[in-house]
Amino acid sequence: MQFSGLYSIFQYDFHRVNIMKRRNSFFFYVVFFVLAQFAWMGLLGLWIYWYVSNYLIFEQVEDKLSPQIIIDSPNVFIFVGGIILIIAIAFWMSVIFKNLSLHIKIARLHDSFIANITHELKSPLSSIQLYLETLTKRNVEPEVQKKFLQIMVKDTNRLNNLISSILEISKYEQKRSLFDFHVYDADETLKQILNETAEHFNLTGESFSVEGELNSKYKADLTTLRILFNNLTDNAVKYSTGKVEIKVQLIQQKKKIIIHFKDSGIGISPAHQKKIFNKFHRIYGKNIPSVKGTGLGLFYAREIIKKHDGTISVTSAGEEKGSLFKIEIPVYSSSRKRFIKELIRSKEKENNKTTHQSEQYDG
Amino acid sequence: MTDKQKILVVEDEEALAFGIEFNLMQEGYSVTIAKDGKEAVELINANTFDLFILDIMLPYLDGFEIAQYIREKDPQIPILILTARTKKEDKIKGLEIGVDDYLTKPFHLEELLLRIQGMLKRKSWYREILTENPEYKFGKNTLNFSTFECSHGNRQFRMTTQEAITMKYFIENKGKIITRKELLENVWKINPDVETRTVDNFIVRLRKLFENDPSEPVYIKSIRSAGYMFSEDKN
Repeated sequence: MQFSGLYSIFQYDFHRVNIMKRRNSFFFYVVFFVLAQFAWMGLLGLWIYWYVSNYLIFEQVEDKLSPQIIIDSPNVFIFVGGIILIIAIAFWMSVIFKNLSLHIKIARLHDSFIANITHELKSPLSSIQLYLETLTKRNVEPEVQKKFLQIMVKDTNRLNNLISSILEISKYEQKRSLFDFHVYDADETLKQILNETAEHFNLTGESFSVEGELNSKYKADLTTLRILFNNLTDNAVKYSTGKVEIKVQLIQQKKKIIIHFKDSGIGISPAHQKKIFNKFHRIYGKNIPSVKGTGLGLFYAREIIKKHDGTISVTSAGEEKGSLFKIEIPVYSSSRKRFIKELIRSKEKENNKTTHQSEQYDG
Repeated sequence: MTDKQKILVVEDEEALAFGIEFNLMQEGYSVTIAKDGKEAVELINANTFDLFILDIMLPYLDGFEIAQYIREKDPQIPILILTARTKKEDKIKGLEIGVDDYLTKPFHLEELLLRIQGMLKRKSWYREILTENPEYKFGKNTLNFSTFECSHGNRQFRMTTQEAITMKYFIENKGKIITRKELLENVWKINPDVETRTVDNFIVRLRKLFENDPSEPVYIKSIRSAGYMFSEDKN
């Protein structure tokens, strides 16, 4: 139909302009890179030409001018040196090039992060504003009023969580995020955290089950573990098209605790399974049931598990068959040495700091 | 009551959707909520609505795609985009698809209600005018403001809402100079501080549709340092 054709042309125009802009910047770097290579090659050619021609002239006149000068056979060393230099330059150029493309990629991710964060911040804010204005404008029955207030509290919490997670990431980037590690009974604390999470998301009965027994201690920071399971559950809820069903399995091994966190969501394609833990990484597509999120949840999850000296990975049986997150955390006995060392180190640091501070105050 | 005007709100934020629904119902509208693009399309296929409120960032199909889908079915039903996205490009894209209004989050309740009222009023006013005389002819062109179907000689095509509204504005102000600012304010309903080049690009497109030779326009003329003027005289 002519009509829809017209629309698609306009749309195409827009799309094309956007892509062109991006391509142009990328294209510029490629051209710059290729030109630089030509420049170097040209310089090398000139240099060889100059050297060889000079050498030939010199060879012709050397006997006549000063036969006492002994000239070695053509200086191979300079040639080899030159070639190594060129290779080194080319290598560094490619490193720079690679870095640049990485930066472009990060900039793009950052752009989409800003768009997402704007959406995430403005949604609860508009909701709160709407309810406040509704309460001001209309006579609302007390029961409905109460519901409005509950929604507003929920939205305020959402804003608060979001702001904390943004602040957390900047702390993390400046390596100031403080973990508070202690030794706990794994079975007790993990089950407690999981129960709290289920409660927080209103998941009861079959929608959230925990199986297995653990009989070891582990070194953990419970606050961040809570964030971790919150993030995993949040994803499971967001990316489920039908009923949410989360199955957690706790497996005790000799040296480690294994947690299998299985959801009934849409699953993650193999291409995304590794990338999904990257900062700001989000999957877009026609069959993704949610557009909410910042691309930080699983990044945190991995960072938190790293701090626990553990690993996290994901597998998926296929589309619509859910995802399985596999978390491994070492048990205390096997991480004890390391833990004690770290503890001593942090105590020393603290002592240094306090003495340093008191010195400052004294001064 | 059967004469309640029906509004479809497509919003994936449950809390916000509930609040909008509550307020619109208080105003006497009948409200249906869709929480994603798929559901919206199903509802559009199964029902008739008088107005649409669309978020842009939605699961499955985004607000632009839904707007486009609506426009293919009906070029006239008012569409309001309600979004957190404030980019100028988004606004223009929406208007080009044929969206009637664009409101950014967070918004004022009063403003939302007034805009909805305005859009519904404009719609009925537009209908009244159209029943009288929906067709307009000039040169080789025939424009039908009801079906948006047009012909230029043998070439048949359909206008977008934005194109129709702009042409209508031109025709109603035949022989008068219309400034870019005026077009932006009265036709596009956006802040005229937005680049006036948007208008120029749009006029280029209109000329391609209706002029015999778009490079030498005779109907939509540029008036230097003033704006544009529509006239049917060929000299």
